[in-house]
Amino acid sequence: MAKHNLESLNPLKFTELIKNRETEIAKANPEIPKEDLNANFLAQSLHPMKQTLKITEIIEAKDAKIYTLKGEKCAYFTSGQYLSVSVRIEGKTLSRPYSILSSPKDALKGFYKIAVKRVEGGIVSNFILDNLKTGDTLEVSEPTGSFTYEPLRDAELVVAVAGGSGITPFVSMAKAIVEGSEDFSLLILYGSRKEEDILLKNELDSISKNCEKVRVIYVLSEEEKEGFEQGFINAELIKKYTENRAFSVFLCGPQAMIGFADKELATLDLERKYIRHEVHGEVADPLTFENFPENTPETVKITVYSKGEKKEFFAASKNTVLRILEAEGITPPSRCRGGECGFCHSKLLKGEVFIPKELDKRREADEKFGFIHPCCSYPLMDLEIEVSQ
Amino acid sequence: MNKKYDVIVVGAGNAGLAFACTATKNGLKTLVIERNILPGGCATSFVRGRFEYESSLHELANVGTEENPGSVRQLFESYKAKVNWVNEENAFRVIADGENGYDATMPAGVEAFADKMEELVSGSRESVIALFDLAKKAEAAIAYLSQGKADPMVMMSEHADFMRMASHSVDECLNALGMPEKAQNIVKTYWPYLGASTDKLDLAHYLIMMARYIAGSPAMPLMKSHELSLALDDVIRRNGGEIFYNTEVKEIITENGKAIGVRIDEGEIYADCVVANCFPETAFSKMMDSKAVPQKALRLANARKKGELFFTVYLGLNRSAQELGIKDYSVFLFNSPDSLQQYRSMDSFDESFVIVNCLNTVIPTASEEGTCTLFLTTMLSESAWAGVNEENYKEIKNRIAKRMIELYEEKLNLSVKPYIEEIVIATPSTFARYLNTPNGTPYGYEVQPWDTMMARIMNANNEQFVENLYFVGAHGDRADGYSSAYSNGNSTAGKILREVKNSGKA
Repeated sequence: MAKHNLESLNPLKFTELIKNRETEIAKANPEIPKEDLNANFLAQSLHPMKQTLKITEIIEAKDAKIYTLKGEKCAYFTSGQYLSVSVRIEGKTLSRPYSILSSPKDALKGFYKIAVKRVEGGIVSNFILDNLKTGDTLEVSEPTGSFTYEPLRDAELVVAVAGGSGITPFVSMAKAIVEGSEDFSLLILYGSRKEEDILLKNELDSISKNCEKVRVIYVLSEEEKEGFEQGFINAELIKKYTENRAFSVFLCGPQAMIGFADKELATLDLERKYIRHEVHGEVADPLTFENFPENTPETVKITVYSKGEKKEFFAASKNTVLRILEAEGITPPSRCRGGECGFCHSKLLKGEVFIPKELDKRREADEKFGFIHPCCSYPLMDLEIEVSQ
Repeated sequence: MNKKYDVIVVGAGNAGLAFACTATKNGLKTLVIERNILPGGCATSFVRGRFEYESSLHELANVGTEENPGSVRQLFESYKAKVNWVNEENAFRVIADGENGYDATMPAGVEAFADKMEELVSGSRESVIALFDLAKKAEAAIAYLSQGKADPMVMMSEHADFMRMASHSVDECLNALGMPEKAQNIVKTYWPYLGASTDKLDLAHYLIMMARYIAGSPAMPLMKSHELSLALDDVIRRNGGEIFYNTEVKEIITENGKAIGVRIDEGEIYADCVVANCFPETAFSKMMDSKAVPQKALRLANARKKGELFFTVYLGLNRSAQELGIKDYSVFLFNSPDSLQQYRSMDSFDESFVIVNCLNTVIPTASEEGTCTLFLTTMLSESAWAGVNEENYKEIKNRIAKRMIELYEEKLNLSVKPYIEEIVIATPSTFARYLNTPNGTPYGYEVQPWDTMMARIMNANNEQFVENLYFVGAHGDRADGYSSAYSNGNSTAGKILREVKNSGKA
């Protein structure tokens, strides 16, 4: 029977470890290590920390403009993703997410396109529309977001439920299908008030005319016209155009419209995995949420710590903590502004905030250790908070 | 920015955090600077849809139980870090394809492991027990060496087996032990945890790691790795330390060959010493004046082999693990029983081995009731990823993910794909983006016969290249793994504290 020990091995080999190491070190190159590793190169080109782009073209539409943003190199992306666009307004840096409407291959050619629609009270959108002109430069984030088609998850047929400028991610998807960088069927149900409100109609028409996999149905709520569906995007309409095929639904548009569509979808009894929302953009007014506590003070004192500096101020409470901070010139990093991406992750040192359950995408341990996402947190009392500017 | 610190820690990875906990606990005025918005490096989690995913932890070695705590639990307790541990009872299931392939589910605990092995490979029990006895000898030798003295006579008389294990490969040692081949193969299942091939990796290192998993009651934090990292963040704050997130160190400032501080966007910050929780070559090439880096430091960095690349798929499934028939926490899927073939499989992303974990089998609350998450990992060699570019990136990423999922479905004879509610795929480039390591590896430098744990420890004093600049992390003496990184950070803090004490400053 074998003897189970190591005695056949020479222990003195151990004493050579130091010498062998010195020999290997002496043989090696004394230059600064080169940075040519493909994973790092790709990380850099797919996820640059920021991109500085120039506005090269502005196309006017009704209540909106389409901006072409050009760079020496634009990071590649997946259709459905957005850019967080930063602007300086009265000395403060503010950023907002805008879905990319151009195609992934356009990025490789060096440009993105985004649509900015005029919104009542929209600080950043209206600033861009009223002030930015051709030749101006803009700082944007890497392309980001997960409102994308995933072949291992989604049905082959995607029903896009779009409203207003919510059409933009689907325009990019349609173009990607034409280019061959995506492979699925896209049925776009695009709701507008009137025909004149339809954004990017020519582009959509020309794509759907030339590509079998993309179909666009316009739905008008305030106009009856031949060739258009009339009313709102409802379960009936979805059933009519999907004809018993399995499908995933992607929704992007104004809150009221999506709320209506959600109720309609509930009647179709789809599994949750087949319904996907683009969540970016915050809800500024907490009173929109049914369970927002009554009797919260109108004004709260906010104490902010950042890199050892302290700042105190009073603010009107009915707003997101992120917006309250930004109004004071304090800008934690932010991307989605809808609770999801976690970029604004900050430590709440004192006080309590209201976080709508449907927007609370924090990690379990965040709650345990008092971290919040300021973009979907509303002050209920005086707060002390530490941010990472 | 005119403050001066005792120590500035660059990077809040596991080792950086443990370092800062020990340093602040002992009164050092400490600043941690992290470029990400979160602490932890690999030790984090993320949310997609209604799922929160563990990002990298399979199981943490040497946590032990409340009654019989291991080194990691003890360390966290010494910090008063608030972590809820959940122990994992089974070691692993391994399914190896090909001639002489096998499907083995191995329990934790030395006796149970040896019994099971005997059942699978008749006549193997004694050699397996002998192996775990060697693990105890290795721990004893490490304890002796960590006292800082190494008398050659004592080493030869009391730790000769350790000297053998630490200078011979896993393969050489298991052959010498007379362990049957199939038992050897099953014993080597954990090699991906160190990412080095068993003909190069020394047995001492492998065995210490393996025994800590089999005999040391591994565990996971209840709320995924983010709980570990936030618990340490909390310790540092309570101890009066400071942490700047979302802040990049642009330069490690040196003066007369000594590190004196760092530069960030807001200005320069000075400290008596700088502890970098990044690869030495990252600091040398991106953060330091090249003249301040001695040639030998660069030679060493260039001589070493960087760790392998990681590719992981995170799935949120809309059925419970039970409904799907998922019973195992951890399954290794190999293309061959031979560990060298398994190692070589990393050269092709169409063939590389796959490890699949289902956290819900250990922590039922890991996701909502009626759902579960799966976490599939593979590792790739540098060459396997070399042909990927921006345009084929998404296609390749989905192709690899699909293969991994289908392999799991086939080998475990169950269905996963129809239940995918969320999918997130992290490629080597995703890791590179978050970890900022060469090729995104979470694994530091790959162990080579000349670059073993012991070779690193014994040469540590010759390899302090820049005065007052220390490196901690997976690239340190104990190589990768959460417990290694914590231990490396903690022991480096101990070393600096001793130096401070000796200089009579504190």
